[in-house]
Amino acid sequence: MTRRRKLRDGAKAHGLLAPTTAWLVAFLLIPLVIIIWYSVGTRGIIDPVRHPGGKLNWSNYGDALNPSFLPIFLRTVAYAALTTVGCLAIGFPLAYAIARFGGRWKNLLLGLVILPFWTSYLVRMYAWRFILDDNGLANTVLGAVGLGSEHRFTNTHWAVVVGLVYGFLPFMVLPLYASLERMDFRLIEAAYDLGSERMSTFLRVTLRTSLPGVVAGVLLVFIPALGDFVTPQLLGGSRTQTFGSTIQDQFGQGQNWPLGSAMAVLLMSFILIGVFIYAWRVGEDAL
Amino acid sequence: MTDEHESKVDVAFLWDLSSPQWSRRRFLQTMAFMGAAGFLGVGCGSDDGDDKSAGPEAKQLNFYNWTDYIAEDTIPGFTKKTGIKVTYDNYSSNDDLFAKLRQGSAGYDLIVPTDNFVVKMIEADLLEPLDLGMIPNRKNLDARFQDADYDPGNKYSIPWQWGTTGIGYDPEEVGEEVDDWDALMLPSVRNRSSFLDEARDAFGMALYAVGMDPNSTDEADIEEAQKYLISLKKQVKQITSDYQDPLKSGGLIMAQAYSGDVFQVQAENESVRYVIPKSGAFQWVDAACVPKGAEHPKNAHAFLNYILEPKVGAALTNYVQYGTPNKAALPFVDPEVKDDPLKTPPEDILSKLVFQAPLGEKELVIADAWTKVKTS
Repeated sequence: MTRRRKLRDGAKAHGLLAPTTAWLVAFLLIPLVIIIWYSVGTRGIIDPVRHPGGKLNWSNYGDALNPSFLPIFLRTVAYAALTTVGCLAIGFPLAYAIARFGGRWKNLLLGLVILPFWTSYLVRMYAWRFILDDNGLANTVLGAVGLGSEHRFTNTHWAVVVGLVYGFLPFMVLPLYASLERMDFRLIEAAYDLGSERMSTFLRVTLRTSLPGVVAGVLLVFIPALGDFVTPQLLGGSRTQTFGSTIQDQFGQGQNWPLGSAMAVLLMSFILIGVFIYAWRVGEDAL
Repeated sequence: MTDEHESKVDVAFLWDLSSPQWSRRRFLQTMAFMGAAGFLGVGCGSDDGDDKSAGPEAKQLNFYNWTDYIAEDTIPGFTKKTGIKVTYDNYSSNDDLFAKLRQGSAGYDLIVPTDNFVVKMIEADLLEPLDLGMIPNRKNLDARFQDADYDPGNKYSIPWQWGTTGIGYDPEEVGEEVDDWDALMLPSVRNRSSFLDEARDAFGMALYAVGMDPNSTDEADIEEAQKYLISLKKQVKQITSDYQDPLKSGGLIMAQAYSGDVFQVQAENESVRYVIPKSGAFQWVDAACVPKGAEHPKNAHAFLNYILEPKVGAALTNYVQYGTPNKAALPFVDPEVKDDPLKTPPEDILSKLVFQAPLGEKELVIADAWTKVKTS
């Protein structure tokens, strides 16, 4: 009797999970298998990926680990790290202010944070180009107030980081807000009443309580920033190539889909391992 | 924490319409507004005029062409004449076009790849052979476009426009007039110049600069050209095919560029010049083809015959400022285009222009060298 019931429940659970399973298989598993299959292929001119005689070609991974890609990889990690720090530095005060002082304007303020999302990322990056260009808005305004109009903003590392921070800020603000919104701000008063300093109150009460949001925000910003290739292309110059743009190049002018796929698999593995370590060290309960 | 706080989890605020300021209606209105605002930047999509009915072709043509590459009255004139409705979409790279086609019929009846990609597409069996009997106006083509190496006898393609890959620059900003590829190494253009994000074009330039054949696949030549490009990369601001706006606004003062692109910039910034380098340059031709599996091949042929009419071809060239392959169109081409040796090169310049040779598997050598340049 109980056993039959268990079976029925099991079947029912599988049935209920079917849409999710189908979705994951179609949009996660199959593409992943294709990329891995490509990554052990041989390149060609007409067929971009071949598997002559069903032979698996593992040398693409050796090529992908070529030390000449290391500076680009490190640059990419640096961009992503700076972007994450930048988003956190701007996003935390912003989310805190909205959560604590937003009052009846909360939804509106959050709506404004999300508003740029209704515009394509590309269009927003072009807008930044318009602002940062040699003859752009920033130089015009700086020139008008007597600070010189000859600044070089675009095609620098900083332009790329500014673009990334702007682009990914909502990914940081939303989870932070979700955490801070739930926080009981009376805890802060309580901490003060019990003689806690400002700094230690922030660290031990505010930050501690919002840690799940911080962890989620850091992951949501860092991971896509690591794979980004559009921003350096539009705001960067000849020296801002990222790992993402290198992968993209392999599917275009580099004409090496197997190498591009191997690089993508390696980047994914790197991120997965990183996330596991991060979750284990920082936020096992926070996640 | 109280239950009230517990109940608001994660992103639930998006649907939290309980606060009095946000009636459902107003929320939806705001959403609609934001949505509309967002779409302003995206441009308009195409209306999908596919007609899958069998038998005689529907009065429809799906045309996929480069951006800014058609005269304003080309399509209306065709529709007026034939009653065939044209859906016009744009792409901006041969690679994208090739990738799209390779995934299977993308629903287009007419595409305009560049000569070296015409070769690749023929090899990959992606193109429908043309029925030249339906294109009597082919006789209007200049002889050198009727039997060109990339497609002898126009078996698969009818040339659309042709041009050269040279240098666009602003002599005032550069401080001198330039006439060869080494100009990109001038100290005065440091950090204010660009070269094309196209492997073959960049290597062609570099091979000319080091005194080699632009179509060379010799490993020593390629390596020398690669070294040249790596040092040039340190000197330029960008490696990009998106140079028109910066050249117009002064963000770039010199760029490796396609001829007609620079002439279009000239219309808005008169100080910009184009030069065909004296050591030589690539010429290229974009040619209209019918992809395999096209649903309206007859309409595509009708369009090809139409574009080869002298006046239609001339109007196209007058608008896009590239060279016309249509000899019969020349009498109707504006004098500014016809008499300009850069837009309609005389014999002595023509003799220095070279088409990109199809390299077959050897192309991968250049692709790898290009990756090394990009990642250096």
